Amino acid sequence: MVKVRVAPGVRPRPVRTGGRRGERGRAGRLYSAFLLASARPLSPPAASWGEDPNPNLGGRGPRGPRPAPIRKKTLEIYSVELSGTKDIDQTDKGDGKEKYRGLKNCFEPKKNHQKEELKKELDLDDHKLSIKELEKKYGTNIITGLSSTQAAELLAQNGPNALTPPKETPEIIKFLKQMVGGFSILLWIGAILCWIAYGIQYSMNKSSSLDNAYLGCVLALVVILTGIFAYYQEAKSTNIMATFNKMIPQQALVIRDSEKKTIPAEQLVVGDIVEIKGGDRIPADIRLLSVQGCKVDNSSLTGESEPQARSSEFTHDNALETKNIGFYSTTCLEAEDSWNKMSTSPIGTATGMVINTGDRTIIGQIASLASGVGNEKTPIAIEIEHFVHIVGGVAISIGILFFIIAVSLKYHVLDSIIFLIGIIVANVPEGLLATVTVTLSLTAKRMAKKNCLVKNLEAVETLGSTSIICSDKTGTLTQNRMTVAHLWFDNQIFIADTSEDHSNQVFDQSSGTWASLSKIITLCNRAEFRPGQESVPIMKRVVVGDASETALLKFSEVILGDVMEIRKRNHKVAEIPFNSTNKFQLSIHKTDDPNDKRFLLVMKGAPERILEKCSTIMVNGQEQPLDKSTAEAFHTAYMELGGLGERVLGFCHLYLPADEFPESYSFDVDTMNFPTSNLCFVGLLSMIDPPRSTVPDAVTKCRSAGIKVIMVTGDHPITAKAIAKSVGIISANSETVEDIAKRLHIAVEQVNKRDAKAAVVTGTELKDMSPEQLDELLTNYSEIVFARTSPQQKLIIVEGCQRQNAVVAVTGDGVNDSPALKKADIGIAMGIAGSDAAKNAADMVLLDDNFASIVTGVEEGRLIFDNLKKTIAYTLTKNIAELCPFLIYIIVGLPLPIGTITILFIDLGTDIIPSIALAYEKAESDIMNRKPRHKKKDRLVNQQLAIYSYLHIGLMQAVGAFVVYFTVYAQEGFKPSILADLRVEWENGNVNDLEDSYGQQWTWYQRKYLEWTGYTAFFVGIMVQQIADVLIRKTRRNSIFQQGLFRNKVIWLGIASQIIIALILSYGLGSVTALNFTMLRPQYWFVAVPYAILIWVYDEVRKLFIRLYPGSWWDKNMYY
Amino acid sequence: MAALQEKKSCSQRMEEFQRYCWNPDTGQMLGRTLSRWVWISLYYVAFYVVMTAIFALCIYTLMCTIDPYTPDYQDQLKSPGVTLRPDVYGDKGLDISYNVSDNRTWVDLVHTLHTFLAGYSPESQQDSINCTFKEYFFQEKFMAPNHTKFSCKFTADMLQNCSGLVDPNFGFAEGRPCFVIKMNRIVKFLPSNSTAPRVDCAFLDQQKDAQPLQVEYFPPNGTFSLHYFPYYGSKAQPHYSNPLVAVKLLNVPRNTEVLIVCKILADHVTFDNPHDPYEGKVEFKLKIQQ
Repeated sequence: MVKVRVAPGVRPRPVRTGGRRGERGRAGRLYSAFLLASARPLSPPAASWGEDPNPNLGGRGPRGPRPAPIRKKTLEIYSVELSGTKDIDQTDKGDGKEKYRGLKNCFEPKKNHQKEELKKELDLDDHKLSIKELEKKYGTNIITGLSSTQAAELLAQNGPNALTPPKETPEIIKFLKQMVGGFSILLWIGAILCWIAYGIQYSMNKSSSLDNAYLGCVLALVVILTGIFAYYQEAKSTNIMATFNKMIPQQALVIRDSEKKTIPAEQLVVGDIVEIKGGDRIPADIRLLSVQGCKVDNSSLTGESEPQARSSEFTHDNALETKNIGFYSTTCLEAEDSWNKMSTSPIGTATGMVINTGDRTIIGQIASLASGVGNEKTPIAIEIEHFVHIVGGVAISIGILFFIIAVSLKYHVLDSIIFLIGIIVANVPEGLLATVTVTLSLTAKRMAKKNCLVKNLEAVETLGSTSIICSDKTGTLTQNRMTVAHLWFDNQIFIADTSEDHSNQVFDQSSGTWASLSKIITLCNRAEFRPGQESVPIMKRVVVGDASETALLKFSEVILGDVMEIRKRNHKVAEIPFNSTNKFQLSIHKTDDPNDKRFLLVMKGAPERILEKCSTIMVNGQEQPLDKSTAEAFHTAYMELGGLGERVLGFCHLYLPADEFPESYSFDVDTMNFPTSNLCFVGLLSMIDPPRSTVPDAVTKCRSAGIKVIMVTGDHPITAKAIAKSVGIISANSETVEDIAKRLHIAVEQVNKRDAKAAVVTGTELKDMSPEQLDELLTNYSEIVFARTSPQQKLIIVEGCQRQNAVVAVTGDGVNDSPALKKADIGIAMGIAGSDAAKNAADMVLLDDNFASIVTGVEEGRLIFDNLKKTIAYTLTKNIAELCPFLIYIIVGLPLPIGTITILFIDLGTDIIPSIALAYEKAESDIMNRKPRHKKKDRLVNQQLAIYSYLHIGLMQAVGAFVVYFTVYAQEGFKPSILADLRVEWENGNVNDLEDSYGQQWTWYQRKYLEWTGYTAFFVGIMVQQIADVLIRKTRRNSIFQQGLFRNKVIWLGIASQIIIALILSYGLGSVTALNFTMLRPQYWFVAVPYAILIWVYDEVRKLFIRLYPGSWWDKNMYY
Repeated sequence: MAALQEKKSCSQRMEEFQRYCWNPDTGQMLGRTLSRWVWISLYYVAFYVVMTAIFALCIYTLMCTIDPYTPDYQDQLKSPGVTLRPDVYGDKGLDISYNVSDNRTWVDLVHTLHTFLAGYSPESQQDSINCTFKEYFFQEKFMAPNHTKFSCKFTADMLQNCSGLVDPNFGFAEGRPCFVIKMNRIVKFLPSNSTAPRVDCAFLDQQKDAQPLQVEYFPPNGTFSLHYFPYYGSKAQPHYSNPLVAVKLLNVPRNTEVLIVCKILADHVTFDNPHDPYEGKVEFKLKIQQ
């Protein structure tokens, strides 16, 4: 089958083989279906036997009549790419042609390349071969194993047994990317122009000043430093992941040279004989040679929810179905229901021969297929690109415009080039990209504290713009453990506490029925706590036993106290564990009542099965004959509990009469020399994997935040729907089409689909949907649950959502989720349950597997978007104040008010910490109460932001800084009137007696020094006003006083840093002539203060009008 | 996502752009209707008018606070600069080179001196008074007409042999050229305590065995008489002319380039600023060919 599926050109759709697999699936499942009902009994069992909600809990749902859709799921898994392509091929015929082209392309090249290899590798027939044939094929011996030399040869030939990590971009490429991305290009252009200018100057005059070469070097240095910084940040966040991924190297117990050796699993080669025990991860694809009570958890590979038994027999043609193959990276579990539990032979051990290693394993192949799905650009990357385009466009167009103006004003071309450089330098916020990186990594750190580990820094924001979350159910929305949810006895349904700690069980425990029921629960249970956990809270203790029994054990331990002690007092004399033939569990005990010599027979199992065996029923502690009305009550309760998607178990008991069964009676479980009918029915108990207590809140938050939560699960629709309802994914008052049909007693077809808000869609239905239908589904229903889906279908769902222009977050844990995780705008892998492949493909890892953590992530993501807006607005503002001097210098001919080096000191010195500090700003209003931003409409940098920063605040800053400049010049002797058109003489080094307004004469150097003082003054002017700027940027709508002036302490740190850096530059480095700073007279520091206040007042007025007149002309033009 | 990444064709983009420029459905030009444009323009006009007014007010206030006679600070003018005439600059500073036998090479230099000294003709100095005292000419009050202060006369003839009156060629023709040294004006600057500042010229790289530079100074001793100081600024002394010192270099070697430095020797004039080659001194290259 496998072979067929991967053969090139064939690409069958999984559906077609569904039937065959169905049969096979049923057979394969018998081992666990010990409660299999005789016939499909009532309607609810479909639910109560619903897919085991938990892959790891072990299950025992009889799924006789169901056409085993789960099996189909298994099947598709191996056709991720292939069936995907197939689907695409089909849509291509339709009108979806264009849309899919991109997707198809991303599959195609990979496929062609891998097809041959896949075909070869999956041409697996090792499971069919006998041990002898295998030995021959791999040149090994199952007793002595390979020889070391053989192994070494094979290792050299086939490479280590490890998955090739996804192709990493070489570090040097990453580094170079940082060097040429975004603004860096502009700065490189500036630097090169500088060097060209110097070259021309030098060729004309050998002794020309080094200024330009020097400036070029500074620019280049800036680019390199910011590049290194960004690279370092990037590398740091990757490192977190690396440490996270670094697990203890896996060891394998291998037979080589007739000796058992423990070697790193990486060194395994084909033909090695390995031994595995319960709890191990299988180190390679192996053909099992001998097995004792082993099950494997294939969930990460197939999405199969239940552990599967393994044996050494060849049971199926398909390598993936046969029991005698164990797959790489799946976990080997001890089989709890093995008969010889009490025996001394080791449980859960297996010996196998390695048949595939490394990338040639099934998992390896799937993992490499996932890398074929292209990574999307993150929304924030798109936003930053957009921003760079805006700023770059402004810089270059102003630069060129003024180049032309300068040339037409008869400036020397060389001078014009230097102006051009000045304009570019003034216009590019050199420090911004570094700031953004720091801001993002700060948020990433904050999120890591809240259990969201961000792999890709840019993904920090993506979560904030997410509009659809496709969430797993098990483990993410639920607690990932079976818990008793309801009880039915005395004709009454009781609710049990399903919270994480089971703290308050409030149902009525006074009834005699409860006493009996609790006894059955306690005694008819083989699960045990691992010893030595007395100090651990009950709910957290490790239990040896399957999921249902664990649930019952914990339940009874919480209510009754020491279960082990009770069991000891009620000595077990005989036991029939569950198995595929008996389909119930039974045990016989001596009672702890010394006066009562009777034996107690306790039994649990499928409710209808148990009911059949009963003739009486216990009500209020009294046995009553089981009549029609009580049977009716039973059915009603059973239906109701089943309808909640819970797994229901029935309990009954019988006191064996002491005369027939004296104390010495020897019970024989094989001949069954005791009654198993006419028992007394005691009650029902239903279990579910309950939702995490934080999830409903989180879902509500998502809803109010305008995020659609879609549940995608492999579970049965009824269970899925029940959980969806209990966590609020389907809200209390919304109905599905089926619900409406049921309420109105009409056929499903007659229901107006528009009336239904919610939809539960199964994988089978999804498979038959065209993309258009899926689009329709996704747009028409606000509450959607996908049940019985395979991990592959997640990919289809994600693509569907993305077609709605949504930013999609996807959670996943299995290997098979990795394509969907990659495809999603943000893939979220589970830290606990997640497979490495999923973590590799994801952008973010949830350390606690909790859905609620996603919501905090969303909050952080939205906050960072808002704060980045503020940071950018802050950074852009001073660009005008840096640009205006150049423009005025060119047009009016003033001595240059601010030099390029000084600008760099603002951009990379004083402004850095305040702009980072804005990242610490708290949200202005409840950011979780607004819709996710529209990818194309709510830009990071919009027209309003740019205009307000450039033309309002920026201009005010420029004016303020010019006032400081003119003050300095005037007080030193050059009044504004004389400054106009002074440029040529001012800069002429041969004029050493230039007259000022007072008739004093200045040498060139004296003027130059004054010019630097002017630079410093202008710099200080901008710095002072940037203090006001950072304060006004704290809020976009609220008054600063509403936000709290001192709530964000980092802002004040930033302001302090600004002032200190400026003081150091002026007074500390004022004597270093190369830096062009001078010691400024103290009073000049305060000249711009009125302007700073003006900026503050102006912005407060702006915000006031925005708050007063929302939606007005003012709001539209002034709110950014 | 594939759908999102659809590249728009050029014509589509053009169409979108045209629609942006003029949208017939909503009557919007460049994203705004005409009336919206008027409103926004009015806002900006008002905003910029206000900003300009505030700026103008600031500058006006600034000008009001500034003393019209004396600058508030003279941070950069601690010591006066010194300039030289004729001033011909090469790559690095003053570089004067001529050929004695070829008068075309020095006629320009001579012309420069004549032009410069034209400002020191008796006619142009007639508004200044004759001063003979050799002390600082302090003037607290505005005694001169038009609320000004008196300036002392400095006429070209005070330079005697280098005045251009005796020798219109300023000695260039004979290879003993005259140079005029001028000290920059600084308001209320007093160059020394009691003795008049004096010019001193020498070879910059004086070798021990070589003959020292022989200089003839005009006025004698190469002093700037103290009565030209202090300077009260162009508003108070509109007719002020810098005093000059002419130096006649007598033994410049022929056909070699020599470096000559002329320093001002005075108590408050410094000439050791490493950054400013013209502060308190003037250096120049001289090459006389024959």
